[in-house]
Amino acid sequence: MRDLSERALDAASAAGASYADCRVINSTVQRLTVKNGVVASVELFEDEGIGIRVIADGSWGFAGADDLGPASIEETARHAVTIAKASSRVNRTPVRMAPAPALVGEYRTLVVRDPFAVSLDDKVDLLMRTDEAMSHLAQIRVRECSLEFVREIRHFASSEGARLDQTIIESGGGMDATATSDDEVQTRSFPNSFGRHQVCAGWEAIEAFDLPGNAGRIAEEAVALLTAAQCPAGTMTVILDATQAALQVHESCGHPTELDRVLGHEAAYAGTSFLTPDLLGTFRYGSEQVTITADSTSAPGLGTFGWDDEGVAAQRSVLVDRGLFTGYLSSRETAAAIGQVSNGCMRADGWSRLPIIRMTNINLEPGTSSLEEMIATTEHGVYLETNRSWSIDDRRLNFQFGTQNGWEIVDGKRVRLVRNPIYSGQTPEFWGSCDAVAAPAEWQMFGVVNCGKGQPSQLMHVGHGAAPCRFQNVRVEPAR
Amino acid sequence: MRGGDDLLAMGDGALASLARGEAEVVISDTRSELTRFAGNEIHQSVAERFRHVRVRLIDGGRTGVGEVRGHDGRAIERAFAAAEDSRRVTTESAVSPLPAPSPGESDEPVAFAEATAATMPQGRAELVAIITDAAGAHGINAYGALSTSTTTTAIVTSAGLRRSATSTQASLVSVARGDDGGGYASRHSPDIDALDVPGLAAEVVDTCERNQGATAIGPGDYEVILSPYAVTDMLEHLAWGGFSALAVQEHRSFMRIGEKLMSDRITIRDDARTHEIFAFPFDDEGVSTRPVTLIDRGVCSAVVYDTPTALHDGVTSTGHSLPQPNTWGPLPRHVAMDAGSTPWQEMVGSVSRGLYITRFWYVRDVHPLRTVITGMTREGTFLIENGSITRPVRDLRFTQSIVEALANVIQVSRERRLELGEGESGVLSPWLHIGRFSFTS
Ligand SMILES: [Zn+2]
Repeated sequence: MRDLSERALDAASAAGASYADCRVINSTVQRLTVKNGVVASVELFEDEGIGIRVIADGSWGFAGADDLGPASIEETARHAVTIAKASSRVNRTPVRMAPAPALVGEYRTLVVRDPFAVSLDDKVDLLMRTDEAMSHLAQIRVRECSLEFVREIRHFASSEGARLDQTIIESGGGMDATATSDDEVQTRSFPNSFGRHQVCAGWEAIEAFDLPGNAGRIAEEAVALLTAAQCPAGTMTVILDATQAALQVHESCGHPTELDRVLGHEAAYAGTSFLTPDLLGTFRYGSEQVTITADSTSAPGLGTFGWDDEGVAAQRSVLVDRGLFTGYLSSRETAAAIGQVSNGCMRADGWSRLPIIRMTNINLEPGTSSLEEMIATTEHGVYLETNRSWSIDDRRLNFQFGTQNGWEIVDGKRVRLVRNPIYSGQTPEFWGSCDAVAAPAEWQMFGVVNCGKGQPSQLMHVGHGAAPCRFQNVRVEPAR
Repeated sequence: MRGGDDLLAMGDGALASLARGEAEVVISDTRSELTRFAGNEIHQSVAERFRHVRVRLIDGGRTGVGEVRGHDGRAIERAFAAAEDSRRVTTESAVSPLPAPSPGESDEPVAFAEATAATMPQGRAELVAIITDAAGAHGINAYGALSTSTTTTAIVTSAGLRRSATSTQASLVSVARGDDGGGYASRHSPDIDALDVPGLAAEVVDTCERNQGATAIGPGDYEVILSPYAVTDMLEHLAWGGFSALAVQEHRSFMRIGEKLMSDRITIRDDARTHEIFAFPFDDEGVSTRPVTLIDRGVCSAVVYDTPTALHDGVTSTGHSLPQPNTWGPLPRHVAMDAGSTPWQEMVGSVSRGLYITRFWYVRDVHPLRTVITGMTREGTFLIENGSITRPVRDLRFTQSIVEALANVIQVSRERRLELGEGESGVLSPWLHIGRFSFTS
């Protein structure tokens, strides 16, 4: 990989680049799906290529190719420079990057058992046992469970002298049980919805999920939802489970603190942000209970690594400090625009895409309460589990989320299961009404594997540590 | 770059060494480039090229899949090896057979334009400058992206199927932002020379200038005019969740064949022969994509099939397969709503009080069976009073059943426009005048 990157950097500088970096990436993905008792697919995917990023005549250029022959690498580097020079004819402002030390090193995800050393037969066997455990109820029309394993070997080199090698391993899995009646369809998922729960870890993580041990309960919950009462409507107390709290953090804190959105880089697509730079350090984002961090060292979150994709070291920074808005997710270029240095959030979806600002592990720090205590001290409200739908405006203020499951709470007790719950609000008022976050015992790391951003579109795997938390005076209603 | 024959020959070579069983080999070469702009400057401009090989092996009643992206000479060999590893551990009952070839079928029409395939970064930068200059002249900022892509796909199978096609796509989207509001416009075509860039620039600047200083309006039910950008989001959601035979077989589709669920002004088709919706002759199994009328004057008429769902229902595939095997089912990727007879500006004239919606944003399913979706309006929401647009209003969240909205259609415009949905398939949509649309916050 080193030969390839040296050749790319040399060709870029010969063509006129004032800065260049490149990433050579080799990745392997295994994806296994069992649906309704049969192995629906076992997909094995290998991918290799190089992405070269340059600054020439004050503008950025990027080109990627899967042909790693010497002629192709040199042509790709020259093409990146051609692109940069074409852009510079439209541009007035030259790119400026905040300084960053040129680092050299090696990083590997900590795994107890390499998931690629576990046989495909054992993986299929686990899924078949999970499927079997969901199959005892006639109303369950679709049962689906899956596993995914990723190994990405990345080499980063820059014209400033950085040389970094990383091997990242991810393991994920999950299940969905869908129950149908004449007029209703209800799905329950475990450990998280939208396919799976994923972490930077080995096979030990899959064993800890205990998919077969939870399958029967999940199927029963899906069937129970078919005839559950509709969610009550009104303004009430809402308690989110840790998975839904993780998604709430993702959409209403993770995205609006991306500094490229704030600076308008995503205005035509992902959108902008209500957290403008004049608010930094003074704006009350949430209540005293709310502290949110960006931490690429908090294993096993999916945003855990040694260095980001422009060679900045993994680190922890505070985005919201006891309710006060204090920080952004940044890159070398965007940090320079507000007089800071990068906090290491540049990540690319493989070799063929340009690194852009992405979440790492965006964590809601644990509090001191517990789910049991929150329920016991709630007069009227709902406890909501597992995301089902999510939508938020382009400045990340007006949101509406739905969950798979709800429990109505009256006078400190869960009184009944309710279906089709949705809740909505405005980001700062919602987090401002947070009066309890559960303690570390109930804090868990979740993964989001489908975070879309950028043009061409990039999907990123990001982590969120979260715990059950409670909010007051929230608008709740059933999805009609 | 129209190397279909080379890729077919590579596929033939790979099949020649197949020792036993059956195989499908799909090889595609892609070159795509994209120039992105923000604040009237190009901030990201990128290019990528790659070869993707996908092998499906069927033997002993088991199917395996291996995929490799990488240009080295052993990519096909590695894909075959991975497919065999995969095949070995799958179960027997999951097999869907390879489709039989239909001799004499043409690999036309396919949307291809040499100008798109030959575009260079400098050419894209010049087109972007038309928009940034127009915005700059009005003291506002333009944002957006111009992309071009060329893909050659070849499919060969041991059942004798052998097809290839090269297609192009050019796509330009833009948002313009002033001090207190923005506008949106897009144009898409197989041919970059056919993109009306000055027209887009004028539209996005005009919408932006009219959408300054929006004031709040209360939620509730409103009569609406939806622009084609917004209608596309609704049609795409019907395509994902409703127009698929698998969704019907799994009882999660709203489609009840033969029942009238929408206004008789509504006819929705999928027709992969339509040049402007990126015509393409076959699906991911190599089956010719047939035109299907999905909604016929308000009546649920038909859904689309791939080989497994067609076998289940005892019919033939309509040629709407995604790569097999998969759990998502078939998907219509060339959807169009029939045009009506009213010029869209006249539709505004017939509304005494309502909203004009330029586009939706972040549209998500709330209840797929009832086609309830939620989302926000974005970049151009206007109040209509006594037949004219009077002022911009702040963006609203809607939560609305698509089928109910399409049951309440009062007029369909004569004009249509192509828009890419979130899934990046082209959808050809008219303006719609809808009697009632529900805004929730
Ligand atoms: Zn996201």
